[in-house]
Amino acid sequence: MHLTYADFPYLSAILFSCVAGLGVILAVPDERKDLIRKAGAVFSGATLFLSVSLFVSYDRHLGGLQFVEKIAWIPSLGIHYFNGVDGFSLPNLLLTGIVFFTGVLTMWGMESRVKEFYALYFVLVTGVFGLFMSMDLFFIFVWYDVSLFPMYLLIAVWGSTRKEYGAMKLTLYLLAGSALILPTVIFLFVRSGLNTFDVVSLMQSGVFTPQDQKFAFLLLYLGFGILAGVWPFHTWSPVGHVAAPHAVSMVHAGVLMKIGAFGVLRVAVMLCPEGWKQWADLMALLAACGILYGALVGLRQTDLKYVIGYSSVSHMGVVGLGLSTVTLEGLDGAVFQMFAHGVMTALLFSSVGYIYDRTHTKMIPELGGLSRVMPVASAYFIVAAMAGMGVPGLACFWGELVVFIAAFKVYPVRGTTAVLALVVSALFMLRVVQHTFYGPPKEEYAHLPDISLVQGIPRMILLAVLLLFGLYPALLFDVIQTASVPFMVGLSR
Amino acid sequence: MNWLIAAPEISYFASALWFLVLSLAAKPDARREHRTSLLLGGLGVAICTVSIGQEGYLFTRAFRVDLFSQVFKELLSLSLFLVLTLCGKMRDLRERHRHDFYVLLFVCTLAMMLLVSADHLLALFLSLELSSYSLYILVAVRRDQRFGTEAGIKYFLVGTFASAVMLFGLALLYASAPATYLSDMARAPSGMAERPLAFLGLLMTLGGLFFKLAVFPFHFWAPDTYQGAMNQVAAYIATASKVAAVAVMVRVVALAGQGSAHLVQILAVLSIMSMTVGNLAAIAQKDLKRLLAFSTTAHAGYVLIGILAVNESGYAGAVFYAMALLLMKFSAFLVVTVVAGDGKNLEVEDLAGLHRRSPILALTLMVSLFGLAGIPPTIGFTAKFLVFVAAMERGHFALVLIAMINVVVSLYYYLLVVKAAYLTEPREETGPRAVSLSTRILAGALASGMVVAGFFPTYLMELADSAVQVLLSGP
Repeated sequence: MHLTYADFPYLSAILFSCVAGLGVILAVPDERKDLIRKAGAVFSGATLFLSVSLFVSYDRHLGGLQFVEKIAWIPSLGIHYFNGVDGFSLPNLLLTGIVFFTGVLTMWGMESRVKEFYALYFVLVTGVFGLFMSMDLFFIFVWYDVSLFPMYLLIAVWGSTRKEYGAMKLTLYLLAGSALILPTVIFLFVRSGLNTFDVVSLMQSGVFTPQDQKFAFLLLYLGFGILAGVWPFHTWSPVGHVAAPHAVSMVHAGVLMKIGAFGVLRVAVMLCPEGWKQWADLMALLAACGILYGALVGLRQTDLKYVIGYSSVSHMGVVGLGLSTVTLEGLDGAVFQMFAHGVMTALLFSSVGYIYDRTHTKMIPELGGLSRVMPVASAYFIVAAMAGMGVPGLACFWGELVVFIAAFKVYPVRGTTAVLALVVSALFMLRVVQHTFYGPPKEEYAHLPDISLVQGIPRMILLAVLLLFGLYPALLFDVIQTASVPFMVGLSR
Repeated sequence: MNWLIAAPEISYFASALWFLVLSLAAKPDARREHRTSLLLGGLGVAICTVSIGQEGYLFTRAFRVDLFSQVFKELLSLSLFLVLTLCGKMRDLRERHRHDFYVLLFVCTLAMMLLVSADHLLALFLSLELSSYSLYILVAVRRDQRFGTEAGIKYFLVGTFASAVMLFGLALLYASAPATYLSDMARAPSGMAERPLAFLGLLMTLGGLFFKLAVFPFHFWAPDTYQGAMNQVAAYIATASKVAAVAVMVRVVALAGQGSAHLVQILAVLSIMSMTVGNLAAIAQKDLKRLLAFSTTAHAGYVLIGILAVNESGYAGAVFYAMALLLMKFSAFLVVTVVAGDGKNLEVEDLAGLHRRSPILALTLMVSLFGLAGIPPTIGFTAKFLVFVAAMERGHFALVLIAMINVVVSLYYYLLVVKAAYLTEPREETGPRAVSLSTRILAGALASGMVVAGFFPTYLMELADSAVQVLLSGP
């Protein structure tokens, strides 16, 4: 893999602005809530700016790993602080920047224990950024756990609806994932005999025997797959999403589940391609089950956030299906879908957040006719729901389209089932939209104000991103292909 | 003989004597005594730090002073000093026992320092007994008759039993070697540990150490003793005593060399049982000290993973783990002692609302518990990582996997404690807890120390590595 070292440590700067933001937030006294929020917005804005400029200045002709920073960390074990960006991680970094910033804005109105909330939120996002940029197995694991442990308190303190149960379930499930990942990572480290955790060195062909790859892949796939919401290990995800506060749901469904899928790609697929080929069949089966199951269960839900939660299971199934095809198109589509689904879910949760803060309910039967009361707020949700259905012109369409084209070729039956399931999911999204936003308006909500221009900013950003990549998908596909093409070419040799 | 290399031991012996004299002469004055003890404890840390590079033999090779022993002496002096910082208010200790309390603490630390450098079997056994007997009294000295006495007697009975087993083991070792110096035994032809007599001797010797470390099935004393002892004494047992036990265990297992497959199997079984039993039992605990006692048993299991790798990185991992345990366990006990205030035992639900009463204590508790659970970026994770790598080098994949599953189980009860501190509201409204500035600084330093040492472990790792290299290279 081609490495281009950074003139300016962009990646460390992203981490630094998270840590600096954390420091500033901790230094401000509890009562200055407004100052804390502003500090949060400034530092998360800085990470957004940095990730956008990274996306823009990534050299698409050169490809490979760019903005590389590498420092020996623990030399005796071959652990490096090794960051870099390639076509797989770049969309995810951009996604994290967008969701982080819009999440801070979405939580602007929250009043309880503001300082602790933002502090934990910053720790969470530091872990996410770190994981996407890291090219060292040790650090990938460390960042994975750093992004997990704040979740418990974030959900249990600021959440709603069975929050303590949801928080505990989520934390233990995800840690169970890491219980599979860590032994496997150490296993690969020992088996390589290279005394290094450096992904670039370990992914050279011939480092691991096919037998080791098959063994390690399965464990890594299951470990990271739990976080990616792979059926049947998804049950933490709807419960956790529902219980979490809005911004955390946004980060969680939008970004954290992508960590799982990204981990499967970065660690399992790239280090153990033989295992990938071996287990692709199982991956496709689980993915198809997830797509179908998420859609069918979503049909029966009456809680808005549960609906989104199950649609996430379904959509993450699409990512899994893409990965399971072992083809270039499948890989491209999966990464695209990771990005698109992240933005779409963030918009959904952000819109629900506004509705819930005003009406204090997210039960669909108790709502109704909201589009007359708050037309703008409703519009955000409806557009996001349409994106979820895969309406052309919005980003999700492309991800799903490419994945399904690839899947039809490789797995005709499972591909068809998945497409049918998507029809069901369109059905349940439409049902939600109908019951929540149309029909006779409820008396008790008639006086509620619509979303103001300022409050709408985070949703506008997300909407604009959905539209931009929906209308001009090549912007993203070009980037992804700088990584996927060389990888698949290397694989077929 | 160069007396200077015994400087740490002499200093602790003198400190103990000083308190003995004080108990005869001076009128009791809690404040003055506490300050004196802090001064002497601090002096001890300084002396240990200065003499970390010393090498040589004491008393015709009965004690071997090298980097390995000096690193552990440093850790022991540090844990005594930290525990002494908690001894400002000891409401559950009778006034007339206070001098004895300090005498015993210093004597016990002295004994452990002798223990970690002991090379002769008799020296090993005697220093182990000296430390144990001091601890028996320290446990029983609590004013609360019901808990204190019961805990003391239980601890004493299990302890003497373990000592008897160990003594028998030492006799068998001598019979099979035949040598009375550990370093001589290490030079015995390889495969010695495969001989039934030597193997049995080694195992029974380890039995005495399993007791110290609270390894299954020698862990029954731990919960009752922790619960019944004063908070300060429990903190001391959880830190210093464990550190010393790890040191001797590494020394004894290193005797077996790479050879003994049976020993590794037995240690693996004990490790798995300790982790599993400790973690499952901890889930049901309501008393915070009992919970920490069971978690100690679980941690003994993780330490064993490093030791049973019987290679250099495994021993180094175990030494690093001892350092990490010292820091994490003490932080947890600091919070227990300060929050309990009046020396009572602390239930998990008594922590309710701690995040408002004292944010820094709540934070320290959270960091130490996440550290104990092994969540990065704390020192606890690094320690687990090191022993896992060592075990994996020997191909123990299943063992590492079981250990990680245990981590998930343990996180459940640690999270319940975190939940009590951060989520639960107290039944009756209590004002902010007045915590002295020095305690707050100490708590903050411990919390940041755990995170910083987790992110930058290189220095401590190298220290542990070179200590183990010295141990293995022999005289």
